Amino acid sequence: MSASAPRGPADTVPAYYPGCSLDGLGKAYEVSAQQVLGRLGLALDRIVDYNCCGATEVKNLSQDVSVALPARNLALARSMDRHQVVAACNGCVYSLARANDAMREPATRGRINATLERGGTPTYDGEASVQHVLEFIYARAGPERVRSAVRRPLAGLTVAPYYGCLYTRPKSLTGVQKTLGTDDPEHPQFLDELLEACGAKVVTDFSAKTICCGGGHALSDLDVSVAFSASILNEARRAGADLVATICPLGQINIENQLDRIRASYGAEVVRPVAYFTQLMSVAFGARVREARLQDNFSRPDLFLRSRGFP
Amino acid sequence: MPIVEKSLVDVDRKEKLELEGIDVSGDWNTFLRSRVQVDLDVRIHDWVKGQPQGETISRCWQCGTCTAGCCMHTDYGLTEFNPRYFIYLAQLGYEEELRKYATTIWRCVSCNKCVERCPKGVKVEEVIHTIGSYLELTGGAPESPADRFDRAYTANLLERGILDEAALFRAYERLEGRSMPAREMLRMGLTLLKSGRLHTGPLAHRTRGWRKLGRVLRETLAEDERRRRASASSVARSQGGRR
Repeated sequence: MSASAPRGPADTVPAYYPGCSLDGLGKAYEVSAQQVLGRLGLALDRIVDYNCCGATEVKNLSQDVSVALPARNLALARSMDRHQVVAACNGCVYSLARANDAMREPATRGRINATLERGGTPTYDGEASVQHVLEFIYARAGPERVRSAVRRPLAGLTVAPYYGCLYTRPKSLTGVQKTLGTDDPEHPQFLDELLEACGAKVVTDFSAKTICCGGGHALSDLDVSVAFSASILNEARRAGADLVATICPLGQINIENQLDRIRASYGAEVVRPVAYFTQLMSVAFGARVREARLQDNFSRPDLFLRSRGFP
Repeated sequence: MPIVEKSLVDVDRKEKLELEGIDVSGDWNTFLRSRVQVDLDVRIHDWVKGQPQGETISRCWQCGTCTAGCCMHTDYGLTEFNPRYFIYLAQLGYEEELRKYATTIWRCVSCNKCVERCPKGVKVEEVIHTIGSYLELTGGAPESPADRFDRAYTANLLERGILDEAALFRAYERLEGRSMPAREMLRMGLTLLKSGRLHTGPLAHRTRGWRKLGRVLRETLAEDERRRRASASSVARSQGGRR
């Protein structure tokens, strides 16, 4: 579903869907995202009592359950009178957009809403659009405002922007209208531009930009997820990047979780620190490394940034 | 007669040949094994098309764009992972050949590059998972790890509305007969717990008022499973009868 222009006052502050990750393993992402949004004067209104979106797993078992789960969250956003939902996880954005698409069909909408009603949950009118937090920051603040918020430029850092799969993909679900704040699914640019605005040197032709990390199969197909994570790090190494910036908690956690195996199979020289883009932006906006919770990351970007003189 | 490319070629037949001192070894004498495929049955295709996740299957015109960009096929190098071919076989109703890939299909990592690129708007990723479901539901196909994971994931999430990642991890590892060394588990658990990133067991997050919707969705899941299994089995039975 394409992002739409604000329709009312309530839309200047979109609803924020945290999903399981941002409240758990991806805490550093949430904390640093809030720091970045605060510094840019952007607000998001949290959906309370949200439920897990079902990611890419549930749809393989039941279409109706896979639509009902995200639809409930969209319904909660609508009951807050919001037309826009922002999520920080690629998987969440995908499944919310997928449910949105399915709910456009009247028969499906009727059936799913009946299910939600039986479960004692508000029903969904199909009137919300979904956006990734990266797109939200880009569309609402943009590189110019980011540049003017920078206090401690990321000078001397070469960063590989890793968008991962499912970011604005597939466009049949997410829509591609750059002017309205939707990035290009094949050759995304928003992260490149925002990190550049923070003073970092960005590997703009990073070949692993949108490949899959294998995170969905981190437990069920370990070999694939190690191989994909290793190739992301290896491409970053070949491009001369000091660190990798991520925009998805699953990507971040999956790559970091495979570091020992990557070291063992592909060599320690492949490995480099991995950090959420909001952690890097927050540091550029003046936060201390510790405040941006970079010590949370298993790849220890905190140690690396300190060695480069960041407090 | 349909041409089912791979199985027609006798790939093991490599000739060692030298002509006037030049090595010309290769597939010179490869011949096509003759094969006649009868009894094509469109009912597998119809079953897939009848599922909401598989309804775009009939749009496929076999260009192979999905497979050219597929990360399992091209990046990981698992050449037998060929979404175009899976769809082809399902369209033909060539169940016997399709069954060879029953576990391979489930290795799709759902990156959706195929869906993004398909010029015909086929939701390739969902279609091939639906084909995988058909094979799995009609038995004969061994359950695959990714399928088991989908089930463990869904069950975990429907319990509280929010995923308990640590419990899912433990439950799934048990299913696969593996276990993380206790020390490593403890070390990881403590790190996450200290930084407020681990909410499991009694500390697990839950969605307020989930009990009722949880029950409804578990019923929906069971009903979907029952319906899918019944319709897939009737296709398989009639296929078996015609063979």
